[in-house]
Amino acid sequence: MHTTVRGEVVSLTADGADSAIEVRGLCKSYGETRALENVDFTVRSGEVFGYLGPNGAGKTTTINILSGLLDRDAGDLAICGLDIVQDPVAVKRRIGVVPEESNLYPELSCRRNLEYLGELYGLSRAARRTRIDELLAAFDLSDKKETPFRTLSRGMKRRLTVAAGLIHSPEVLFLDEPTAGLDVPSARVLRALIQTINRDGTTVFLTTHNLAEAEALCGRILILVKGHAVTEGTAAEIRRRVEEATSVSVVFSGHVEEEMLLETCPAVHSAVSTEGRWRLEASDSHAALTQIISFAEQQGLRVLEIGTYTTSLEDAFMTILKQDVKREPRL
Amino acid sequence: MNQLTSALFISRKDVESYYGKPPLITWGMLFPAVLMLAVYVKDPTTYLDVAPGIIAMTLLFGNTSMAAIVVTFEKRSGTLQRLLLAPVTHRTIVLGKTASAAAYGIATSLVITIGLALLLGMTVSNPLVFAIGLVLGAGVFSLLGLIASVMVREVFEAMTLLNFLRFPILFISGVFMSMAALPSWIKPVTFISPLTYVVELLRYGIFGQSYFSSPWVCIFVVSGFLALSWLVAGPVFRRNANR
Repeated sequence: MHTTVRGEVVSLTADGADSAIEVRGLCKSYGETRALENVDFTVRSGEVFGYLGPNGAGKTTTINILSGLLDRDAGDLAICGLDIVQDPVAVKRRIGVVPEESNLYPELSCRRNLEYLGELYGLSRAARRTRIDELLAAFDLSDKKETPFRTLSRGMKRRLTVAAGLIHSPEVLFLDEPTAGLDVPSARVLRALIQTINRDGTTVFLTTHNLAEAEALCGRILILVKGHAVTEGTAAEIRRRVEEATSVSVVFSGHVEEEMLLETCPAVHSAVSTEGRWRLEASDSHAALTQIISFAEQQGLRVLEIGTYTTSLEDAFMTILKQDVKREPRL
Repeated sequence: MNQLTSALFISRKDVESYYGKPPLITWGMLFPAVLMLAVYVKDPTTYLDVAPGIIAMTLLFGNTSMAAIVVTFEKRSGTLQRLLLAPVTHRTIVLGKTASAAAYGIATSLVITIGLALLLGMTVSNPLVFAIGLVLGAGVFSLLGLIASVMVREVFEAMTLLNFLRFPILFISGVFMSMAALPSWIKPVTFISPLTYVVELLRYGIFGQSYFSSPWVCIFVVSGFLALSWLVAGPVFRRNANR
């Protein structure tokens, strides 16, 4: 499939009032290695924003800068209208961070872990008690209340780590690879919880390698490659940007000669058959479908199956990565 | 919420989590107790001369070990990063960690002191000066432990680094003999060690007299070390806590 990438960040919302996170010209280097290069994006209040990229793209670096764990080299950023460098304590009260590795206190029980964090976030004793019970119930950990964190299963640890990020009901929740390493049922439970958290009004900033997960959860997605924001938009918009041709999948009732098919259907550019199923690349899907059906009638064949092939976000992501290979290597 | 309250929460959690760790029991309690017993068995008539030094040494080892265990363990497990994400300043974290280490050092020193009083008949003639010595010394040594341990990742690295500091300090600070009995060539070095002044404060607390004419000299100098350690600890912690 021949595809192109526009390779530019779509225009960002200028409406600062309704944005949870605004980042402009963010740069970060580790020695000679540039981890982030002029990254711009806006996360709107109440959305799930996907921040995708291959390993080493700069996703965790971005989260670490936004959450105050790392200093930036350059750029402006505002979280809920505040700068993490100018007012770190106020920003940290408004955000919750769930890092890639669960980082709660192994020797403390689930309840005590949440209680301690509740104390640090200034919740009253009564508020802590209520919130802990709510979170343990929501994350299906009520029966593990007094169990030490270190003895929990990996899935339970992840759930408790997400719960810990929510102890103070943050306005923005950063989730760094929340389902990495989880089995399918645990990942599914966690995804459902993320949707619930978002429905309750929390803005979610999500990094993940699971593109199906990103597509299912995220309203908008930014793809970061080697520290550069390569593209941004909804999953559908990103797919469209890499689609130059439409793929058509068709199964005929009998044998078809490739040459004849291409001659009879000028809208079809290429054709590949695998075990009787043809995958055709066409510039105009409507014209191609009409021509294919006419071709079958001329050949005395029936069309058993026909449909356009939808480019997945994964296809789009891989195309973007391939395009990025041409990018100049970083110093 | 008040940052001081947050520091107390941090401290209380550390006490809850780490006081039973084996290296703390070994360095904080067993080591000084066995050393004191050895001194007593060697010469039951003069063992009390070294009691201030042994108590100060307990404070030094207890505090620095606690700080080293807490900081390196939390760096490795990622829980220090969890703490850095909370709405507390770096100074608050330093204060909380220092307070828990100081509390541990004071507690172990008091156990040794009570043991000496009950088992070997030691008396404390000026409890106020003795208490001031414990508190100021605990503060300095805890900050020293925190500064050393935040720069490394492993407990053994922190302990090794600290031993490079602790043993020379022990040697030059009049722990095993009074300042008056130290050779003259070593005395100039003795005056740059905070442990010297802590030992002399405890000596004043136990015997009512020390090498220095007034306990205020020691209080002033140890307070200076405490202020200096506090000033150094903030930036060092900020630079190294998330590495």
